[in-house]
Amino acid sequence: MTIQNRESFLDNLANTLGRPRRKTGVERPKWSLSPQWEVYDGLSQDELVDVLEQQCKVIHTNFKRTNFDGLSEMLKSAIKGHDGNKVLAANDRRNKEYGLEVIFDDLKQEGVDVRLWDSAIGTENQVFAEQADIGITFSEITLAESGTITLFNDKDNGRSISLLPRVHVVIIPKSTLVPRMTQAVKQIHEANKRGREVSSCVSFISGPSNSADIEMNLIVGVHGPIEATYIVVDDK
Amino acid sequence: MKVSLFITCMADIMTSNVGKDTVEILERFGCEVDFPDTQTCCGQPAYNSGYLENTKATMKHMMKVFRESEYVVGPSGSCVAMLRGYEAIFRGDPEWEEEAKKLAAKTFELSQFLVDVLGIVDVGSTFKGKVTYHPSCHMTRILGVKAAPVQLLQNVEGVDFVELPHGEDCCGFGGTFAVKNSVISGQMVQEKADHVVETEAEYLVGGDMACLLNIGGRLSREGSYVKVVHLAEILNTVK
Amino acid sequence: MGIRIGDPSFETRVQEGIENDFMLNSVASAQGRFRGRRGVATEELGNWEDWRSLGEEIRSHTLENIDYYLQQLSDNVSKRGGHVFFAATADEANEYIKEVVKRKNGKKVVKSKSMVTEEIGLNKALEEAGSEVIETDLGEWILQLDGDVPSHIVTPALHLNRDQIKETFANKRGYDKSNTPEELGLFAREELRKDFLTADIGITGCNFAVAESGAVTFVTNEGNARLATTLPDTQISVMGLERIVPTWEELDVLVSLLTRSAVGQKLTSYITGITGTRLAGEIDGPEEFHLVIVDNGRSEILGTEFQSALHCIRCAACINVCPVYRHIGGHAYGSIYPGPIGAVLTPLLDGYENHKELPHASTLCAACTDVCPVKIPLHEQLIRHREIMVEKNMAPTAEKIAMNGFVKWSTHPAAYKLSSKLARTALKPWTKDENITNGPGPLKNWTAQRDFPAPSQQTFRSWFKERQKGEKSK
Repeated sequence: MTIQNRESFLDNLANTLGRPRRKTGVERPKWSLSPQWEVYDGLSQDELVDVLEQQCKVIHTNFKRTNFDGLSEMLKSAIKGHDGNKVLAANDRRNKEYGLEVIFDDLKQEGVDVRLWDSAIGTENQVFAEQADIGITFSEITLAESGTITLFNDKDNGRSISLLPRVHVVIIPKSTLVPRMTQAVKQIHEANKRGREVSSCVSFISGPSNSADIEMNLIVGVHGPIEATYIVVDDK
Repeated sequence: MKVSLFITCMADIMTSNVGKDTVEILERFGCEVDFPDTQTCCGQPAYNSGYLENTKATMKHMMKVFRESEYVVGPSGSCVAMLRGYEAIFRGDPEWEEEAKKLAAKTFELSQFLVDVLGIVDVGSTFKGKVTYHPSCHMTRILGVKAAPVQLLQNVEGVDFVELPHGEDCCGFGGTFAVKNSVISGQMVQEKADHVVETEAEYLVGGDMACLLNIGGRLSREGSYVKVVHLAEILNTVK
Repeated sequence: MGIRIGDPSFETRVQEGIENDFMLNSVASAQGRFRGRRGVATEELGNWEDWRSLGEEIRSHTLENIDYYLQQLSDNVSKRGGHVFFAATADEANEYIKEVVKRKNGKKVVKSKSMVTEEIGLNKALEEAGSEVIETDLGEWILQLDGDVPSHIVTPALHLNRDQIKETFANKRGYDKSNTPEELGLFAREELRKDFLTADIGITGCNFAVAESGAVTFVTNEGNARLATTLPDTQISVMGLERIVPTWEELDVLVSLLTRSAVGQKLTSYITGITGTRLAGEIDGPEEFHLVIVDNGRSEILGTEFQSALHCIRCAACINVCPVYRHIGGHAYGSIYPGPIGAVLTPLLDGYENHKELPHASTLCAACTDVCPVKIPLHEQLIRHREIMVEKNMAPTAEKIAMNGFVKWSTHPAAYKLSSKLARTALKPWTKDENITNGPGPLKNWTAQRDFPAPSQQTFRSWFKERQKGEKSK
């Protein structure tokens, strides 16, 4: 794709820095400090779950925890609790593994309109997402410190699922927990270095949308979801 | 220990008692105090206004004044920070770099000198009254002296110490700012005076005469009963 | 609109600010909350100074090698299907964006909050070209409806209260509910959702671009930047040339510094990294992506003593602690960049002529320097600005005369001694009960606000001299 005016623009920068243009050979230095690696260093997965639970209170997010067998009931009750009549879920590879397919079938039997993101039907996905009560996604990497779930959006996991519905429900396999953003970006950085292209949209999401633009008063629920529920699932 | 008093022009002219108290405290702890008579001002009013090149003459004069001193001690965080600041200003100047560095290394604010150099945290003075303290901006943020004055003050017998709310906020003095942006400065010092009154303290203590003059002037304008005193005055009240 | 806002006279703007009790109360209470939250968020880490040092180190390295990283970034954006336009000036950026919008027949443009687009006056340019431009950040939308301008770089409508906002919504959009922030916010959600669904173009700023992969990232809470980059088929992101990090790893550090310093959050609700266009099979995201990299005066800051001002990550921590800002509000600065960082940046980007008061709109209390997460020596840069204005002969004549006099006085001990001795006598006519309430000359401005005590009866040096004599005669 096009790159315009680059040479003159960058030549000028080199010029004002009083040196020749640097086109190659710049190495990112080893930084002299690394405080980010000290945060929650050495905590066990269960301890990280505790940190996450505490942080959920701060970010106005419902926190639930269950084991593998309890997920079905937990998810169903979350959907009902949020008045979920229209539900949109990512077409995630883990839907089957975690029994979501069965849960969705049950819900359909009960009259809930449950749909999976389907790249074949184009913008209809967005239209449904906009009307949906609930969007369901799996977290890829979960940041305990900030209560953040990470999505690598792709053709099966549209950006709209976690954005347009009124409620965002996230399934968090316990094994995805890390202390903070540091561990997540390291994975992205290293994958990128290995030549694996980064997702077109990396979403770090911490609870529902909010704003403090009116008198610094926190409003929970602005343009994105108004509510968020995290379900941490102990691994099998 | 030989100490040269750096009186600061403000205390010299406006509040000479602060200088007297400083001398007496230092002597009480065994310092031999001299007063280089040709000292003037640290140069801050002109330097902060952007007249760096002109002010260098003042700075060089002050470096000469204190050239032979073992220690230089002054009752002002701001003026002491300025003397120490010569080091950065003359960095790279072949003639003055070393001189500025030496001055910076031997110059201290009074409370800083007592605590960090002499190792005294209790000067053994007595002062009756409810007291609050304004930690002036340059003292805390430029010179980095935060704990020493409070520690000394709290150890004075009879002092009923009460924290000043939002103490770290500037009082609105800012050198020429008080004159140049008089209206804004007036709003700021009003807020500071309100906080002082809020504490119900009888005395406002500080380590920088300029800030005290500013806050005191506002309190006086309001007819407040709060008295403004320099830390040295309290530390020198011995029974 | 560009960088300049409000009445051309600084004094008028300050007076407007000081008289606006309503606004000042909002600002003071917001500052109180910001400062509290920032304090907690930085102290709980236990090693905040290390974080700041790391932030400074990263920003410094990146700026030193800015040509390299911008080249890497543009290569990577291009590889991922994006177009990159390097704009030397605001006009170049606006022209390019207008052309893209025209070519895409962009009738409706949704925008997420972006200071750089305010700086270049993009909205006006697009509106002139016939597009409807809708600001979607809640604060920015309020201002847009009201015809107002931002007074803060993070919460732009900080100066307005709920009643004023309710009135704006009622007058402009027929709003008929209460003044609670919740209902006002819900109304904005409903109104703007329609615009998101029908917009042709999404325009965003960029908090940090990631050179190693070509991502542009957005740090937001409301979700409007996500909507603006998810639904429209064309996305245009605009960034100042300095808004870049080498890799995702540095993004972590700077985002952590930003969210804690800005709002005291560990992370905001959304940190979103968009790389290029949507991929095959994807429905969401743009099919056409443009990244516009703006200079607009920044390159002239490189290589000068102000280079570190480009380290700024726009967290507004300096604004939130600034006592001057608290007492005059953001609009008084006459720039979309207010507060200490604004007073440093504005003259650099827009020249001294229209902003000569800004470097003096500070007591040099250094609270700003103390909180800056990337350690910009803000108060020192303000002094440097003052020096440059003196060098450029822009200082008032009276001040020059006074300062020259000061230097003479402070380098001639005899003159100093004489004048200090005479000070008390000279002020005698104005002194009553050891107090001056209406002083002459430069004292006039002082005593307009507060009293001035009479100088001591005896200067210190004469006391010291007498004491020495006394000791000798003993």
